[in-house]
Amino acid sequence: MRRIYIVAVREFLEMLKTKAFLLGVFVVPIVMVGALSFTGRLQKKMVSGPQETRTVAVTDHSGELGEEIGRLLEEHNKWNTTKKVLVESIAPPPEGLEGLTKRTKERVKKRELVGYLVVPQDVLGEAGRAQYYSRGDNLAELNVFHTVRNALNNAATNTRCVRRGISPQVIKDVRRKIPVDNNSVTAKPGKKQGGLPVKMMVPFFFMLLMFAGTVGANQHLLTSVIEEKNSRVIEVILSSVSPFQFMAGKILGLSAVSLMTVCIWGLVAYGTAAYHGMGDIVNTANIGFFLIYFVLGFLLFSSIFAAIGSACNTLKEAQSFMMPVMMVLMVPMMGWLYFSQHPMGVWAVALSFIPPVSPMVMILRLAARPDLPPLQIAASIILLAASVPLVMWVSARIFRVGILMYGKPASLRELHRWLRQK
Amino acid sequence: MDALVIEDVTKAFGSVQAVNGLSARIPPGSVYGFLGPNGAGKTTTLRMVMNIISPDSGSIQVLGRSSREGVAGRIGYMPEERGLYRKMKVTAVIAYFGKLKGMSRQDLTGAIPRWLEDVDLAEWANKRVEDLSRGMQQKLQFVVTAINDPDLLILDEPFSGLDPVNLELLRGIMLRLRDAGKTVIFSTHMMEQAEKLCDFILLINNGRSIIDGTLDQIRSRYPSNTVAVELAGEADFIAELPMVQGVECSGRKLEISLGEGGDPQDLLRNLVGKVDIRSFEVRTPSLHDMFVDLVRTNDA
Repeated sequence: MRRIYIVAVREFLEMLKTKAFLLGVFVVPIVMVGALSFTGRLQKKMVSGPQETRTVAVTDHSGELGEEIGRLLEEHNKWNTTKKVLVESIAPPPEGLEGLTKRTKERVKKRELVGYLVVPQDVLGEAGRAQYYSRGDNLAELNVFHTVRNALNNAATNTRCVRRGISPQVIKDVRRKIPVDNNSVTAKPGKKQGGLPVKMMVPFFFMLLMFAGTVGANQHLLTSVIEEKNSRVIEVILSSVSPFQFMAGKILGLSAVSLMTVCIWGLVAYGTAAYHGMGDIVNTANIGFFLIYFVLGFLLFSSIFAAIGSACNTLKEAQSFMMPVMMVLMVPMMGWLYFSQHPMGVWAVALSFIPPVSPMVMILRLAARPDLPPLQIAASIILLAASVPLVMWVSARIFRVGILMYGKPASLRELHRWLRQK
Repeated sequence: MDALVIEDVTKAFGSVQAVNGLSARIPPGSVYGFLGPNGAGKTTTLRMVMNIISPDSGSIQVLGRSSREGVAGRIGYMPEERGLYRKMKVTAVIAYFGKLKGMSRQDLTGAIPRWLEDVDLAEWANKRVEDLSRGMQQKLQFVVTAINDPDLLILDEPFSGLDPVNLELLRGIMLRLRDAGKTVIFSTHMMEQAEKLCDFILLINNGRSIIDGTLDQIRSRYPSNTVAVELAGEADFIAELPMVQGVECSGRKLEISLGEGGDPQDLLRNLVGKVDIRSFEVRTPSLHDMFVDLVRTNDA
């Protein structure tokens, strides 16, 4: 036990001295907070700052809608100062449409215009259909298209109503939208509530914290094992420590570093949220669960990484073994939106009981829905906790042999043989 | 009780038989040399002694025990390929390994400066390992091995990479440790060092023991059959003497090889009175000669 502790302390202190750790602990939060406040400022600036004008040309053959479209877009511009759309009316030329369309499309191509709307004569008829031309290669243009399409349709509705003798005031009354206040029954009264986007980000943030904490320190574990193997430090160490003691010490030391890093990040994030009056978006129980899942998950992955490191001689060789491990880590990353939106979905529940993925999946589910069935939580923790010593045992057996094997990297068959070796 | 007993130990790596039925007894308080050409099985044997790899068959007893459990702290091992944490400071490295071997902080504060002084590294105490030269790292590695005052030191090629001054320094320390009752086992192919240092020698080739014993015992098995004589006077008759096999002449010096059973004393008697003898030296074969000869005959 004393030897494990000595190895752990060295691992801990050495990791604290690495650039990667200093960067991770101090620079990541600074960048995080910086990025948040920067986007905040940017958004404010977008509201008040000078605008890029987006002009759309409109040719109206019907002679009924053009004016109304222009009026509706002007109204749109009043409310959406960041997404203004200007209209350039082009009267249909007497010599025919073809030349005009060609010329205007050219202007769209040259970016003089964002789009070109052509409204045909019979647009208000049953088979009425309008044409819109744009470069169609970016998101902003898509927004303009939606705005123009809405303006056309609203103009058509209004015109149809007028044709039927309905007064504009009635139309306005009919179309008036009713605002709905969205209230949470679990939020404490008097506190500011995070909007939906913020709430969605909480599970994501928890998962990111777990992912970064696990991958960062384990990357270090992998490289340090390979280094110790290559520099033959390992032979000196193994003359006084057993391979298992050595591996356990390394894992323990690094998990302490990792836990510390994650706590610092979490505190910075919580502090930032609390500063903006959103302190209650994180549930206290979730923090406890996060720590349990983080530590267990870390032990699981670091055992695997230690075994991989011991079986390889270079980082390059280790990459091929890392692939499947990283894939497992990526599953919750890719499905985070699904898991946090459907915390009781079949996939979410099933993956909660599969140890390598369960920590991240469970933390997503818990953050999305704090009142998960206690039985599920308990079963998932027990399964995970039971798998840790099992994986450690397998890894220790591989570690024991691999750490002294030089030459070519081990094949899966060899790994299997090492497992059974006495 | 012997410090180390190796009994009929065998180890193969795939189809290569690295150690093949090797046995040895190493008495305590001695300097014991494992000699042999490259690939003879020296390092493999020492690694098995350290329990880094386990033998396929046979048994090894270290300090009277068959398992290293409980005696690990009494053994110091210096592997052939040196390994230290390059980014750590010299004192920190020694302290780390010292602690792993069970030393207390108090023991370490006394032992570290003393040892650094011994190997001329005192000024480097606060430098990083990577700032040290190769020879210095080698000495540091030795300090790491010996820091906990082990009863048994196992050194794999301790002299490789050392300049003559440091070589003398290390040799002196090894003898000092032996005089303090420690057992020092080392492997080398530097015969001159082995000859100066070893109380006992084990010569290994192809994983087998070829010869072992004290230097004198080994020498006695190689009866000397060359005599160097410096003389004045007519010396042609010497080649005709019955015990003489051949004579090589360089100026006034003669190198006389004797035939089987030829006695140098007999030769001397035959020379006295006939020529003016300036010097008469019975050549003892050097360890180097015996080594080369033994390995050649063994390989053949």
